[in-house]
Amino acid sequence: MNLHAALVSIEESKSSLEKAKKFISSERNGAESIFIGKVRNENDKKKVIAVTYDTHDQAVIKTFHTICNSAKDKFDKNSKIFLEHTKGYVPVGEISILIAVGSGHRDEAFKICRYILEEVKHQSPIWKKEHYENGKEEWLPGHSLRPKKEVK
Amino acid sequence: MKIELKLYGSSKILSDKDALKIELPNDSKIEKLRDILSKIISEKHLKDNLRNLPKTAAFFTDKNEVVNDNYKLKDKETISIIPPIGGG
Repeated sequence: MNLHAALVSIEESKSSLEKAKKFISSERNGAESIFIGKVRNENDKKKVIAVTYDTHDQAVIKTFHTICNSAKDKFDKNSKIFLEHTKGYVPVGEISILIAVGSGHRDEAFKICRYILEEVKHQSPIWKKEHYENGKEEWLPGHSLRPKKEVK
Repeated sequence: MKIELKLYGSSKILSDKDALKIELPNDSKIEKLRDILSKIISEKHLKDNLRNLPKTAAFFTDKNEVVNDNYKLKDKETISIIPPIGGG
């Protein structure tokens, strides 16, 4: 099994890094690349205390598999990929996304990591609501999936 | 006819529930659903927060794929509204 893709709770995400390292480990690989996205405490000059991630679970998992398989086809068919995104309420400092890649060489490992991150942002139905220190909250703008030819 | 619109992301401002029941003329297409959404948003005075949603949202059927504006809705069908996304 060379691919793991999942949505996880905040509790589950605390053990994701160790699971990811174990999953991608292989004597065939000369490079391991790990990207950890975290919730940060500031956005647009507002003090953020947490983010709620809403997800269309089935569609997210479907896109995760499509993206990871596409990355394998483009860069390294034998790569091992671990991809998890946290859902629900995620406080500042906690992991929102974890991408780990084991590959034969460093160039492919870096490229796969970056490719997956950018594609998740543009393909996977995940939404962010920021919670601020002053008690307010706001859904963030994003990338429209409506077919471009329909937008007048 | 009636459809169920499952709410995601910013569209959750439209209701305290996970879905909206929407009444539409028979054989309505997604285009009509966009019009009705605009009306709902105006009536609820949510224009500042959601004014672009009817234009920017995509819609999924139960196959989890985006359908275009010519897609003909069926009575009792469940449709998901997909506002602009941004995970990571």
